[in-house]
Amino acid sequence: MTKDAVSFTAAGVRRGFFTAQVMAPGIILYAMVFGVLASERGMSWLQAMLMSAAVYSGSAQLAALQGWTATAAITPVIVTIFVMNARYVLYGASLQPWLASLPRHQSWGSLFFLGDGNWAMAMREYEAGYRDAGYVLGSGVAMFVPWTGGTLLGHLLAGNVPNPAAFGLDFMLVAFAAAIGMVLWRGKSDLWPVAAAGLAALTLHRLLPGAWYIVGAGIAGGLMGAWRHGR
Amino acid sequence: MAVESTFLLALLGMGLASFACRISGFLLMGYVRITPRVEAALKAIPISVMVGIVTPAATSGKLPELLGLLAVGLAMKLVRNDLAAAVAGAATVAVARWALG
Repeated sequence: MTKDAVSFTAAGVRRGFFTAQVMAPGIILYAMVFGVLASERGMSWLQAMLMSAAVYSGSAQLAALQGWTATAAITPVIVTIFVMNARYVLYGASLQPWLASLPRHQSWGSLFFLGDGNWAMAMREYEAGYRDAGYVLGSGVAMFVPWTGGTLLGHLLAGNVPNPAAFGLDFMLVAFAAAIGMVLWRGKSDLWPVAAAGLAALTLHRLLPGAWYIVGAGIAGGLMGAWRHGR
Repeated sequence: MAVESTFLLALLGMGLASFACRISGFLLMGYVRITPRVEAALKAIPISVMVGIVTPAATSGKLPELLGLLAVGLAMKLVRNDLAAAVAGAATVAVARWALG
């Protein structure tokens, strides 16, 4: 691949912004699920929207909510964000050739809004020879209004739900995790990490309060993945 | 987290943690080689976290939860859509709780 000169123009931002709109409906619904669950956990609409704006990651926010109680310990919630977003380390690394030559406010700004979908789209564009890095920022920012707006909408609708458990809404996160887990399943190579994660979660859930069982599952699975690599 | 300062502290921590994940790979790329082994670990983490979230419900022995997980599995096989599958799972749990009192 040739290292063509990278630019960063408003046209690139616009192109990314409009191309990424195909993801908006899914993002809004996903954000509404977070809004409902945040409301169920006792967060105000403003708190939920602030969390969506600051964390900007569905899987991490949903996992963090699981350890979110009236007397929540902050540390496990933050560690959960780290564990859930560990994949972004790889995403950022793979974007390095595209963003490295840009001034810091452009590269860091683009990375702040990075998501799974827009990362995939950006990598596809780079492979195709497109070199306007505004695309990375535009396609990331495109999901900001759907994500924070969907959070607000979900939270408002949850106000009309008398008992979330009666509608199975307390099960929504578990159901989502199960479904996403099936999407992430790549075959036999995942068997050992999944087994390690399940064992760690089972043990830690009985021993420790809060979200530590989720953190433990992520670390155990990651270590197992490294250990099993190439075997 | 009723105390406002506690929430703001948590928000700051979560925001910084999230941004640190996004920025660190980009910054470290010049210094650290992400070996295939490190990559294997990072790739195994998301599915492991999902398993962690599901495990307590799956081992709770409660029938509505188990039926809900079954519904998620079936819906994923049929429609391959995680949102639809999650809604199907939650709906199943709701119906099962109602039916089983």
